Amino acid sequence: MVVILVPLLFGVIEFGWLFQRWLAAETVAAHAARLAGELGGDDASLRRYVAAQLADVGIDPGRVRVEVEPARVAWREPIRVSVRSDERIDLPFAFGATVQLSVTAIARGEVSR
Amino acid sequence: MTRDDGGSAATLAIVMLPLLIAVVAGVVQLGAIRVLAARVASAADLATLAAVDDQDDAELLRSGTLRLPADAAATARRFFALNLEQIAAHLDLAPSLIAERADVASFPTAPAFDPATATVYDRPTVRLAAAVPVRTPAFGVLLLPAVTTVSVRSVSSPR
Repeated sequence: MVVILVPLLFGVIEFGWLFQRWLAAETVAAHAARLAGELGGDDASLRRYVAAQLADVGIDPGRVRVEVEPARVAWREPIRVSVRSDERIDLPFAFGATVQLSVTAIARGEVSR
Repeated sequence: MTRDDGGSAATLAIVMLPLLIAVVAGVVQLGAIRVLAARVASAADLATLAAVDDQDDAELLRSGTLRLPADAAATARRFFALNLEQIAAHLDLAPSLIAERADVASFPTAPAFDPATATVYDRPTVRLAAAVPVRTPAFGVLLLPAVTTVSVRSVSSPR
């Protein structure tokens, strides 16, 4: 009985935790994309902003890869910010796996050069 | 539990197992829908924000007032599709088709009345409303709809 109920219980807990991180990363990516559009691309202040936002939602920025494409965006063109991290799910007596969380948000370049 | 009812507990566990698995699968699927709904809402917000980021430059120079360009609605559709593309694997329709079918309205000048929402906008506004079909395979296994429609509405104005 234990080997059935414990994995099921942990499944609910672990997936709930995973979805919470996914939602948090999604929000950070959307805000970061808007900021990247305002800044006209990738720069240190954007990276600092993303790191601070991730830390605020309980995600260690050191384990997250942030990609900004293109690094310098033209006016009115799309700019893409991706936030990726590897998260671990462990279900006792069942399995353990690493799941990649990947969220991408696209905003519009607002800097007229 | 006494030694005598050990067999009945094992039988009960076996009988209840499909129900337990179904409940867990349903919970996980609900969580996935919640995440996807948030991403769809974010896609709509980014789309309308992108649409109102731009202004009619000639009107701004001439009168100093904010006026949306003629392509604001098209811009909203374009960025909605681009953002939905990121979750295309979970959608039951192509992102471009969903964006094409979305109800996008541009109100270049203010005040403007939106008959769809019965709202008066006091700034130039872009409004996007869409029905996004999301795949829910775990629900399908549980004899529930395998596709769930997420409705989203976003309204943005420049400042």
